[in-house]
Amino acid sequence: MQGSSRRTGTMTDVHRRFLQLLMTHGVLEEWEVKRLQKHCYKVHDCNAPVEKLEDFIHNINSVLESLYIEIKKGVTEDDGRPIYALVNLATTAISKMASDFAENELDLFRKALELIIDSETGFASSTNILNVVDQLKGKKMRKKEAEQVLQKFAQNKWLIEKEGEFTLHTRAILEMEQHIRETYPDAVKICNICHGLLIQGQSCETCGIRMHLPCVAKYFQSNSEPRCPNCNDYWPHEIPEVFDPEKERGAGLSKPSRKSLRPRQH
Amino acid sequence: MPGAPTYPQFPLRAPLSGRRASCSDAEVPACRGRAPAAGDMLPKPRSRGRPSSQADRDGGRGGDGRAARSAAAEEAPSTSRGAGGSQDPRRSSSQGGRRADAPLVVGPRSQKQLELKVAELVQFLLIKDQRKIPIKRADIVKHVLGDYRDMFPDLLHRAAERLQYVFGYRLVELEPKSNTYILINSLEPVEEDAELRGDQGTPTTGLLMIVLGLIFMKGNAVKETEVWDFLRRLGVYPTKKHLIFGDPKKLLTEDFVRQRYLEYRRIPHTDPVDYELQWGPRTHLETSKMKVLKFVAKVHNQDPKDWPAQYCEALAEEEDRARPQASAPSQASARSQTSTRPPTSAPSQTSTRPPTSAPSQTSAPAPSS
Repeated sequence: MQGSSRRTGTMTDVHRRFLQLLMTHGVLEEWEVKRLQKHCYKVHDCNAPVEKLEDFIHNINSVLESLYIEIKKGVTEDDGRPIYALVNLATTAISKMASDFAENELDLFRKALELIIDSETGFASSTNILNVVDQLKGKKMRKKEAEQVLQKFAQNKWLIEKEGEFTLHTRAILEMEQHIRETYPDAVKICNICHGLLIQGQSCETCGIRMHLPCVAKYFQSNSEPRCPNCNDYWPHEIPEVFDPEKERGAGLSKPSRKSLRPRQH
Repeated sequence: MPGAPTYPQFPLRAPLSGRRASCSDAEVPACRGRAPAAGDMLPKPRSRGRPSSQADRDGGRGGDGRAARSAAAEEAPSTSRGAGGSQDPRRSSSQGGRRADAPLVVGPRSQKQLELKVAELVQFLLIKDQRKIPIKRADIVKHVLGDYRDMFPDLLHRAAERLQYVFGYRLVELEPKSNTYILINSLEPVEEDAELRGDQGTPTTGLLMIVLGLIFMKGNAVKETEVWDFLRRLGVYPTKKHLIFGDPKKLLTEDFVRQRYLEYRRIPHTDPVDYELQWGPRTHLETSKMKVLKFVAKVHNQDPKDWPAQYCEALAEEEDRARPQASAPSQASARSQTSTRPPTSAPSQTSTRPPTSAPSQTSAPAPSS
């Protein structure tokens, strides 16, 4: 039936197992995805050479296209780690999320999202979010309950919590970027380098343009005198290091604490 | 009830009505009526989005659903209209009589629109099956198909084909003519999968496997009192909260029943009232007597053939399934349902081994599922 003239890839059990397992995660880091890929090869087809991840994913995406789903690659805003998420293209916003949360919970998320987008730092304090609990649609929610809902969002990787403040998880950005840009066109911040949606980043104190931390890292790499690409003024912030996967794996498997990154620099 | 269907959508989409799985009209255009290009799925929402967001900016957030909705009504040629022109997508009686008046409404639906419908259906089925709740045809029609309901068989078939080809899931009807569906994994689970999963499977599967094993070994039905007698030896009580399983009573008599893994029936004329537990239709579809027997054998560190009666029964079921039937899944369930306690399993002394090796079973919850 899907015999359309589109040039689509071929699914094998390797790809199917990969997809099934990928679906159990909301988002995965690149090294985890590679491990998953290797595992699936091992289970089904030990002898075949493991395809390059980029091609492997591209192949699957060409099949997923007709289902309006995509495995999207992104980069974490704080330290530039590559990550992958399965996003829904057709109805965009998180139908998965919608089925896991109640109306008032979703509204809480929406409020948090708006506060995050409006904030200077890309973080909204727990206090500010909880203050709007009275305005939520649906069943009345108490602050205590709202705190737990926010934790649930963090556990499910829609939000990230840092020291009592919340920002958007990369997964949410990947899934919702388009929707956010359309719904809040005046409030959203855009990175001057990659032109993608920007929640956390650094900004020029003179002209106000903003850049993602990983974009800053790449742009100013080995530049001893970083200057704003827009107004040429001296760039006043600490330049983060470019993410190096090799260094990361050496240090251990958990998220490293990058010494040079203070996520909220403006 | 609005005629325009939706399926669960995150309410941050322009409609902002935020009702889970409800048929909010404004949500309709969000997923139809477009020629989707990769990455640009939403020309309509753009225009809807702005008015609502500006209203947000000016007049505070919330309550802008109405603006979005009216804009949507004008702009969105929802896919359910097909060749239609300026119909109001909120016409609530689009089925039946209306259709007779305006046959053009059900006009030729473009390939793209159908494809989008199938995509929505696939996602709907995946999401619903995550909870292990069987999916009803009525829900499919209400939340996904709507005006496309006349194409239910075709769309379902296409969705099933996609599910199998892309994900390796088989869409099966729970019982013949039940109009409820579940997804069965056509890939064999592998032990290492468990380490790589994101959701850790569910620890409750262990308890389920034990109970399924018990039911089969006892002749395909077991009294609830017997189940608790057995589980007590493993430190699982109906009335006591369990560290891993939570509320075992609720699990066995409600959750697993709702998920159709177990059947829970009252035994008439019992005083105090007792219930009987049997395998549910989902169990018959997802696993087999042989698999469960192997699990039980493994737990006892023995061979399945050590239980000859059960082994024969399991073997017979394997042969049944291997025989090419017209509608295999329904056959499997039908047949298993009718296989009542064979008199030969009266020698249940063989299945009373569990008590003696109960302690070893505490390590059992490592189900082969």
